[in-house]
Order: sequence, then structure tokens, then C-alpha cells
Amino acid sequence: MPGRRRESPLKNPSRAYIALGLEGSANKLGAGVIKHAVDGSTEVLSNVRHTYITPPGEGFLPRDTAQHHREWALTVIKDAVAKANITMHDLDCICYTKGPGMGAPLQSVALVARTLSLLYEKPLVGVNHCVGHIEMGRQVTGAQNPVVLYVSGGNTQVIAYSRQCYRIFGETLDIAVGNCLDRFARVINLSNDPSPGYNIEQEAKKGKRLVPLPYTTKGMDVSLSGILTSIEAYTSDRRYRAQGSPCEESEDIITPADLCFSLQETVFSMLVEITERAMAHIGSREVLIVGGVGCNERLQEMMGIMAQERGGLVFATDERFCIDNGIMIAQAGLLSYRMGFQTPLTKSTCTQRFRTDEVHVAWRS
Amino acid sequence: MLSSSSSKPPTQQLLQSADLISQGAEAAIYKAYLRQFSTSGHGIGHGAALEALEPVLLKYRFRKHYRHLSLDTSLTRQRIAGEARALMRCMRSGVIVPGIRMVDVNEGVLGIEWIDGKSVRQILPGGAELEDISELGEVDEIHENGAADSIADYGVSRGRTVRMLIGSYSTSVDALMDMIGVEIAKMHLADIIHGDLTTSNMMLRKQTSDLVLIDFGLAYHSTLVEDKAVDLYVLERAFASTHPDSEPLFAGVLSAYEKRMCKHWLPIKKRLDDVRLRGRKRSMVG
Repeated sequence: MPGRRRESPLKNPSRAYIALGLEGSANKLGAGVIKHAVDGSTEVLSNVRHTYITPPGEGFLPRDTAQHHREWALTVIKDAVAKANITMHDLDCICYTKGPGMGAPLQSVALVARTLSLLYEKPLVGVNHCVGHIEMGRQVTGAQNPVVLYVSGGNTQVIAYSRQCYRIFGETLDIAVGNCLDRFARVINLSNDPSPGYNIEQEAKKGKRLVPLPYTTKGMDVSLSGILTSIEAYTSDRRYRAQGSPCEESEDIITPADLCFSLQETVFSMLVEITERAMAHIGSREVLIVGGVGCNERLQEMMGIMAQERGGLVFATDERFCIDNGIMIAQAGLLSYRMGFQTPLTKSTCTQRFRTDEVHVAWRS
Repeated sequence: MLSSSSSKPPTQQLLQSADLISQGAEAAIYKAYLRQFSTSGHGIGHGAALEALEPVLLKYRFRKHYRHLSLDTSLTRQRIAGEARALMRCMRSGVIVPGIRMVDVNEGVLGIEWIDGKSVRQILPGGAELEDISELGEVDEIHENGAADSIADYGVSRGRTVRMLIGSYSTSVDALMDMIGVEIAKMHLADIIHGDLTTSNMMLRKQTSDLVLIDFGLAYHSTLVEDKAVDLYVLERAFASTHPDSEPLFAGVLSAYEKRMCKHWLPIKKRLDDVRLRGRKRSMVG
């Protein structure tokens, strides 16, 4: 809060810093270049992404995803560097995703980062993926000290900053919300292009009927696997019409659109509810939504209504920064690099499990 | 249980005459006054015909506009009824909880006994002197938001009055943890799962120094070991996130709980260990 905030430990740099960020913890391969100028401003020089898209009804497997990342790494990085109009020698550091994520894709990208680091003699910075999302969200929206709802294919967490650590207040007890949506998209054979979540959102706009589903908030946590089972069961219901059009209101039928609608309404209500609880618990008025599911406009709308009722503000970003990208890794990496953090080559590993609250957030007061 | 359903205007009138105490995430909390009748019907042992007005706490679950209307309506009804049911069950089994004064599921209003005291969160170190994120006030606390400097009025039960001063902190805090453990155990023995055990949802009553469990908004009935273990786990997380460096406190709660649960403890302990290990709650390095 203005006036009450302690002085930030992060001083304006004495010269401009430029960092390359490499992200590949799931099916998106991203590279981005960020610049921190002397006056303390931040500029996104480039943000390139390539997504591994599987056919409808299929998810992405670690081995194939890693293969995709290896194939595209050089193209994407060259593109990012060219768009930023710099050379590799201008970089101050190379940031990569240390975790959490899928093992094989993480390893492929870490290998690329190590190779570039040795080739151009640039220091490496390993970055926590979740912290990357939070830092980029704060940078883009200008939110000061928000409660963060981090919702993606692999994570569902309600986070707030306290004492140089992003503390997790609530999270999913089983599967992530993006995972729940993606898997249901597979069940009803929606396309994975551009993303299953986006197609669910479009389908849900046509839905009218709200089918009863479990509503499973547990304190500030949620459980989603039972909802997935329950909504899947509706597809073998007698009233279910896979090709049914939602306009025939008089008939007692359930269409895929109705199920998408019901799933979104129920699951997002739960997420907004736990976010509201966290806000009330710690007395914050700002919410920041990050992560791939964060670009769902219905979720943003619901969060907006909740924030408005509490006299607060909601911050969200568009798909460029919500969905996994390289620039967020560069942003979080450069912040910690400016605080003197580096990852020595011998420790430049990656890990599938890396909790948000394990990171020392040195750059905030 | 005195129920004033069906009569819509009285509940609304009562709400209008009431003072808003706080607005939490779930509901708005009001303080209102009910006239005490000498006729029985309360089900609680206030036999005497008092002319004095009895303070009650009204919990008004207002409509959440972000939720789909039918989802919101059914959730509100379920939660009001569920909360009243859980409170009744607890009371029958001797768990110290606020008594029920009125239930109106259609309006979303639950009236319960007014507890004069402070929440455990305010009493424990770290909870009241909220750190930077929590400085804004507007906390989900039901009663007054005083600073927790003087806790001397709060004696601790078991006959002798222990003053909670810095010097004698460990003993008196231990006694408090003990009471928390016992109350939770009594509640679990009655097969009630609280659903949102936090230090904000426990109060120390001023006059008698009883530990009162409050806010049964997410409570439900279950005999499953799993649910009881998750309930304890939620409390463990709440301790860790609200009162930094106070993990040993939770150990005190557990040991009192263990004693009270007797033979029921072992399966719960095993499941609690499972719950802790499960999923993404804990980093599993190595």
C-alpha cells in the first residue's frame, strides 16, 4: 500500500539489463527478451511462442512434447533475438524454467539454456515457473500487492506475498483446473487448437442448462477430480445428445454446450469463492489472475463481480502473458539476477516439483 | 430450535434494525437483539424469564452475484440448513458451540448466540499483529478487532487462572492448545466435520474462558476417517500460514486430540500422514 510500503530492495539499475527467458514446462515453448532500463522501466523486446498441438481426444505426452521443444528451440530463440533487434552478446543472463512442470520438456529446454550459456559465456538463472507468472502479471497490470489466483493446466493456487515469500493460501487437493477442463474437452472431442480451454469457453457460451455437480470447496482449498468424474458421467446419461443443439429448450436433453457451461460455472464459482476467502482472510483488495485458465473471460468476469462487491480491483492479462511464455521467465529471472542471484552450471538442473513458496523473493520488501 | 421461516418481513426487519459487525467473504455479520421469552422453545437452559434483550449474532448469506442464480440459491439454502444442523448435533454431544436462536433458509439468515470474547487468532502471536499483507483491517473476524496486547482478562480453564503474559506464555498457550484439541475431538466423535478449522474460527469466551468453536458454515456430517484427517490438516495449514514459526503449537493440539479420541486416534493419525504426503501439498524432493 502506498505510503506504508517499505523501501524496495531493488534499486534502479546503473545500466540497462537485457535477459533472455526460455520456457518449456508444458506443451508451450516460449522465448522472450526483456529489458530493464536505467529509469526503472521494463520493456518487452520480444515474446515468441510455439505450441505443441495434439489431435482432438488426445493429450500431450512428455516424450512427444520434449521432441517438439527440441525441434523448435532454435527457430523460436532465433526469432525472439531477431525481433528484439539484439545479438546474443548483448544479453546479461539467460533465464530458464527450473520447474515445476513435465520432466522431459523441462530437461530439453534446460539443455538448450546450458548450451547457450556456455557458447556465449552468459550466466544462467533458474526460475520458478509460478513466480514467473506472478512477476509478469504484476509487471503488466501494475498491481501492487494482490492476492494471486494462479490457474493453469498444472497448477491451481491462491497465493499472497508475505515476508519475501509467495505463500500458498489455498490450492487444489488433486488435479489442476486446466487439467480438469482439458480432460473434459477430450471426453467430448473438442479440438486442442488453439487450446482445449478456449474451445470449452466458446462452447459454454451456447449452454443454457446448469446440471447439478458437486461443489467441493474445502476451506481455502478445492477438489476437482470428483467434478470431472461427475461431468463425465453425464455424457453417458440417457438425456445426453452429443450432437444436440441447445436451441431445443422444450426437450429434456443435455448437450455438450450445457455440460461445458455447467462445468465452467461450478468450477469458476469455487475458484472465485476461495479467492474471496483468501482476500477476506488477509485483508487485501486486489486480485491478480495469472496462468493459462486466467485468460478465460468468464472467469475474469466472475472475479470482477466479486471484486466489485468487495470494493476491490481485479487484474488480468491477455493470452500473450497469461499462457506460458518466455518473457515471464526472463522477467522473474532478471529480477533475481539484479539481486545477485545466479545458477551455477553444476546446479542448473530442473525439477518436476518446485513449490511457489520455496522461492526467496529477494527483490520485494 | 426457534424457527421463523415463512415469515419474510420479520427477518428483514430484524436485519434492518441490526448493526453490521463485519462483512466476511461468506456472509455479513450483524448484531441484533432478541427479546427473551420465558416459554421454553429455545432448547437451551435459559429458563428464567428475563426482560433483558438478548444479543444475537445474525449471519446473513447475501446473494453472490458472480454465481449462477440457481447454484447460488441452492448453495445458500444448503449451507444455512447444514450449519444449523451441525450446531445442533454438536450441542447434543457437548461440544461448546454457540446456541441457535433462529433459522430462515429462504432469506439466508441464521441467528446464533452472541459470544463475548476474542478469537484464538487474535490471542496467539503472529495472528493479530498481522504482517504487511494483512494490515488493511477488514479481517474475517466476527468480533471486535482489538489488538492482542492485553490478554490478561482471558483466564484459561481447568479451575486455575493462568495469565497469558510473555513470561508464562508456553504453559498458558499449551492449555489453550489443549482445549482446542479436546473440542475438536468431541466434535469429531460426534461425526461432525467443521470444514474450515482456522484459528479465526475459535473463540475464547470472556466470562468462562471456554473455547468455543464458531462458523460451521462449511460443516457436514461424516463418519469417514478421511474427512476427519483432512479437517485436522486444514487446521495444520491454517496454523502454519497464520502464525509463522508456531508449528509446535499444532503438536499440542494433536496430543490433546489424541488423548480424547482414544482408540479412534490411530486410523486418523495414519490417514493424516497420508493426507500430508498426498498430492502437491508437499515438495517431494529426492
